[in-house]
Amino acid sequence: MVCAQVETSPRRRWQKVLYERQPFPDNYVDQRFLEELRKNIHARQYQYWAVVFESGAVAQQLCSVCVFVVTWWYMDAGMLSPQRLFGAGLVSSLLGYILFNVIDAGVGRQESGRTWWADLKSTLVFIAFTYGFSPVLKTLTESISTDTIYAMSAFMLLGHLIFFDYGANAAIVSSTLSLNMAIFASVCLASRLPRSLHAFVMVTFAMQIFALWPMLQKKLKAQTPRCYVAVTMLFALAALVGLMTISSVGAVLFALLLLCISCLCPYCLIRLQLFKDNIHGPWDEAEIKEDLSRFLM
Amino acid sequence: MAAGGPARRAHNVCMVSDFFYPNMGGVESHIYQLSQCLIERGHKVLVVTHAYGTRKGIRYLTNGLKVYYLPLKVMYNQSTATTLFHSLPLLRYIFVRERVTIVHAHSSFSAMAHDALFHAKTMGLRTVFTDHSLFGFADVSSVLTNKLLTVSLCDTNHIICVSYTSKENTVLRAALDPQIVSVIPNAVDPTDFTPDPSRRDDSITTIVVVSRLVYRKGIDLLSGIIPELCQKYPDLHFLVGGEGPKRIVLEEVRERYQLHDRVRLLGALEHQDVRNVLVQGHIFLNTSLTEAFCMAIVEAASCGLQVVSTRVGGIPEVLPENLILLCEPSVKSLCDGLEKAIAQLRSGTLPSPETVHNKVKTFYTWRNVAERTEKVYERVADEVVLSMDERLNRLISHCGPVTGYIFALFAVLNFLFLVFLRWMTPDSIIDVAIDATGPKGAWTKQYFLGKKGRVKEEILNS
Repeated sequence: MVCAQVETSPRRRWQKVLYERQPFPDNYVDQRFLEELRKNIHARQYQYWAVVFESGAVAQQLCSVCVFVVTWWYMDAGMLSPQRLFGAGLVSSLLGYILFNVIDAGVGRQESGRTWWADLKSTLVFIAFTYGFSPVLKTLTESISTDTIYAMSAFMLLGHLIFFDYGANAAIVSSTLSLNMAIFASVCLASRLPRSLHAFVMVTFAMQIFALWPMLQKKLKAQTPRCYVAVTMLFALAALVGLMTISSVGAVLFALLLLCISCLCPYCLIRLQLFKDNIHGPWDEAEIKEDLSRFLM
Repeated sequence: MAAGGPARRAHNVCMVSDFFYPNMGGVESHIYQLSQCLIERGHKVLVVTHAYGTRKGIRYLTNGLKVYYLPLKVMYNQSTATTLFHSLPLLRYIFVRERVTIVHAHSSFSAMAHDALFHAKTMGLRTVFTDHSLFGFADVSSVLTNKLLTVSLCDTNHIICVSYTSKENTVLRAALDPQIVSVIPNAVDPTDFTPDPSRRDDSITTIVVVSRLVYRKGIDLLSGIIPELCQKYPDLHFLVGGEGPKRIVLEEVRERYQLHDRVRLLGALEHQDVRNVLVQGHIFLNTSLTEAFCMAIVEAASCGLQVVSTRVGGIPEVLPENLILLCEPSVKSLCDGLEKAIAQLRSGTLPSPETVHNKVKTFYTWRNVAERTEKVYERVADEVVLSMDERLNRLISHCGPVTGYIFALFAVLNFLFLVFLRWMTPDSIIDVAIDATGPKGAWTKQYFLGKKGRVKEEILNS
């Protein structure tokens, strides 16, 4: 029998090789069995406050969506004139632009090689085109019912939040798709505003808050983390106050959501990390770590 | 069942797998060769697989190896779809008709193999399972397949793996007791892979690659190695045998670096052509990213080539260090390994192909595999098959609260189905199949002797 075979020469050690006939039964289990097993080699140790800091990106983006919807609400209700919004947007964009260039002492600009003139040109082209097409935007969705528009905008904003690049390296992340969805939502919502000037201002504002603002945030986060925390707090507060003027219940729920994302979720992540049980060993498929595309260039 | 000898009993073994000839691959040749050697040792062996195109019904291969090609639907990658129940009537009929005592299933990718194990246990037959592949633990798909494997193997009598790494992997995946897992390597027919130095051109250096051109075989690495080395050595040639989705990558590299006369892509190879390709080269390169055993490097070494391979899976166990150069799975490391082999080749320090062949041919033989597999059958034949209630307990205690209860329910349903089938056609009225090898293998000796190695087949109506 297989088991009945006892080691004939006890001195001879078992070897993990197949080409030699060894004096051990085929189902022999050596002490070295599973010695190459490794557990959780890729597991990361998280610090609570570091995770909270990183979760700021999610909170920020939620607040951006909130501010955008609140602004649209004000415009729709006629409590905010498009001229004022445009003016405010222009001023804050200018400030942000200066900040964006000053904060890293112009290093990023030198690296990208983009001139001021190129920035100004694309701004002018964008504004001119949006202004020219705003009557079209205004009437674009006239044949679609308002409920559909709202549902569509809600889905698009949700999609924007899902696909947004929060800094994670995952397959689902696609900043292009995310931005497109946000702009689509803004076009939908803008088409329900009273006049084409409203629509123009709304789309411009969407561009500022969904495209330009996250870029500035990313730079702030990298250069001055303290400042970034303060800005995030202030921004969240502004979003909350804005929401409060429309619906107090909504504001409370939104506050709870923000708290949950920034405080509760990091806690859960760190607790669940303890249960991580990931096994690695020689049977794992090897990963190709090099960039092989260079051979085809 | 007739006694085969004083110490040995003859077993009626049924090999079940989705993978068999005309499909080509490691599992297919393993089943065929093992069956042949077991028949030679006096056992009755039959193979059950699914129908391949027009090849359906019963066929007889060399030495009266009976093959059932069952009309089951193929779902994906030559694996049949499974409902866990639909194959019971057919398989039960075969098991009863052929008086099967041991069901030996092959390959964890084969749904039919798992089905057969499930039915065999319901019918109270002994079960053996051979795992031919490695699996990870990291992604969702492997979590699911590993759970299914746990269910399938928790009440299987014995499991065979092809390397120690594969054993560790299977034990972890299916949460098994390592004592019921044996390691029996694959083998290579050394007479099929003999060296022939006259066939190679010694004025140039040829590196041979024979593998399916897929991601798991590391073809992307190969696409980096080819330009790197071709630029360094002007008299270096590559010979690539095999077909697959990654062929386009190699073609692009060949195009990009203008290597049409130095990199030959031969396309898909027939099994008997592999040796003719191997003997044209000096160095064999294997770039696999994962491999349980890797027959290709043994075949190449048997043809006398110097083997350069990645150090993954069970490969370090397969050949001794003086016959193989192990590298990390990166372009740089593999290039270093190949350069070392080229330097050895040019300085003439490599052992001659004949010496290498004589050494390798002693390592792995199918007769040895069959002998060791027979020991497993002997052991299994002495074990008690779990009764229904024990089996349900095992499922529930071993496979987790949810899956365990679900599959225990399936086992009960399967049993009821079996009872129903037994009522419809009682075992007693099912004909006993005539053994294709004749009484005491007489027919085999009379008609088929001397035709060894060729798959001779005759179609009998089924």
